[in-house]
Amino acid sequence: MNKTVNQKAWFFVIPVFVLVAFNAIIPLMTVVNYAFQETFGNNQFMWEGTRWFKQILISERFHAALGRQVLFTLIILAIQIPLGIFIALNMPKEGLGVPICLVLMSMPLLIPWNVVGAMWNIFALPDIGFLGHSLNALGFDYNFTQQSGDAWFTTILMDVWHWTSLVVLLSYAGLRSIQPAYYQAAEIDGATRWAVFRHIELPKMKKVLTIAILLRFMDSFMIYTEPFVLTGGGPGNATAFLSIDLVKMALGQFDLGPAAAMSLIYFFIVLTVCWVFYNLMMRNESNS
Amino acid sequence: MIFTNSFAANSWDSVAKSQEKGFFDFEFITWMAWTWQTATFFLFIVLCFVIMVLWEKKKPGGSPRKGILGLDTTRGDRLFISLLSSAYIHLGWLGLIGPMLWIATIISFIFAIFVFRYV
Repeated sequence: MNKTVNQKAWFFVIPVFVLVAFNAIIPLMTVVNYAFQETFGNNQFMWEGTRWFKQILISERFHAALGRQVLFTLIILAIQIPLGIFIALNMPKEGLGVPICLVLMSMPLLIPWNVVGAMWNIFALPDIGFLGHSLNALGFDYNFTQQSGDAWFTTILMDVWHWTSLVVLLSYAGLRSIQPAYYQAAEIDGATRWAVFRHIELPKMKKVLTIAILLRFMDSFMIYTEPFVLTGGGPGNATAFLSIDLVKMALGQFDLGPAAAMSLIYFFIVLTVCWVFYNLMMRNESNS
Repeated sequence: MIFTNSFAANSWDSVAKSQEKGFFDFEFITWMAWTWQTATFFLFIVLCFVIMVLWEKKKPGGSPRKGILGLDTTRGDRLFISLLSSAYIHLGWLGLIGPMLWIATIISFIFAIFVFRYV
C-alpha cells in the first residue's frame, strides 16, 4: 500500500501553533529576555548579562526553596502512591459498592484548588477548626499558623486528601483490566496474596502507575494555590515552595530579572523530569 | 536609530529619561524587551529547526537507533537532549566556576556532537 504524501495537512496545525505561540512561546521568550535584564518598569531595561542566573544559582534562598519543594514532592509521592494502590486493591469489584466508591473517590478531585486551601485552612484552625481544635483537645500542641512542623503536616495531609483519589482511580482502572485467567492460574499454582500482587497486579499496573507518578510529580512540583491559601508560605518561609517563592520574588519584590532567571531554572528541571518520564512510558509501550 | 528601544541599548545613564521612539518601538516589541543577544539565541534555535527540517528532507525517517543510554532516539530527540544538556552545562559553569562562559558553550557543542553520534 502506497500512502499519498500530502504536506498540506500541516496547514491544519496553524491554529494550534498560533494559540501556543500566544500562550506559551511568546511569554517564554519574554521571560528569557527579562532574565538577562534589569527593569524598574516603564518599559526600560538595562542589560545585566548572566548576573541573575549566577545570583540565583548561589542563592541560599533558592536552594532552600528547591530543597523544600523536592522534600514535599518526595513525601507526598511516598504516601500517595502506596496508599492509592492499597485503596484500589481493597475497593469492591462488583455491585453497588463500585459506583459509590468511585463517586466518593472523585469528590476531592472536583473541588477547585483555592477552595481546598480555604476548606483546610478553616478545618485546621487551632481555635475553631474541627481538626485543629480536636488535636489540641487531645493534648497535641498543634498550630499550623505558627509552627512549621504543623504547617508541613497540614499541607501534606491536605494534598494527600486532595490527590490520592487520582492514584486510586488510575490503579483501579489498571486492576480492572487484568484478565481473570491470571488470577485463576495463580490460584492453581497456590500463589500467596503477596505473590499475586508482586507478579501479576503490579506489572499490569506499571503503565498507569507511571502516568500516576508523573501527574502527581508535576502537580506537586508546581503546587501553588493550596499552600498559598492554607499557609501563605509561612510560618516564615517554612512552606514557601518554589512557585510561592517565585511569585514572592516577581510580584512581591518586583525583581523581574532574578525571578525570570529562577523560573527558567525551574522550567529546565520540570522539562528534564518530563522527558525522563516520557522515555519511561515509551519503554513500557515498546515492551508490551 | 530604528532599534532604539527594541534592543535595550540602554545603559544606567538612560534610566527614567524619556526616549525617542524608533521605527520598531510599537508596544508589542518593547513589552517583550528584546536584546540582540537573546534575539541571536532564538534565531539560533530557529536555525536548528530549519536545519533539522532540511536534514529530514534529505534523509527521511529521523535515523532512529538505540544509543548508548539504551534509549530509542531520533534526530529530534538528540537535538532536544543536546539543547537541554547545554542549558545544564551553562548553568553548571555559572554556578560552579563563573567567568569565561564561552568555554561552557564550546563544551556544549562538543557534547552535542557526541550526542548526535552516539546517543
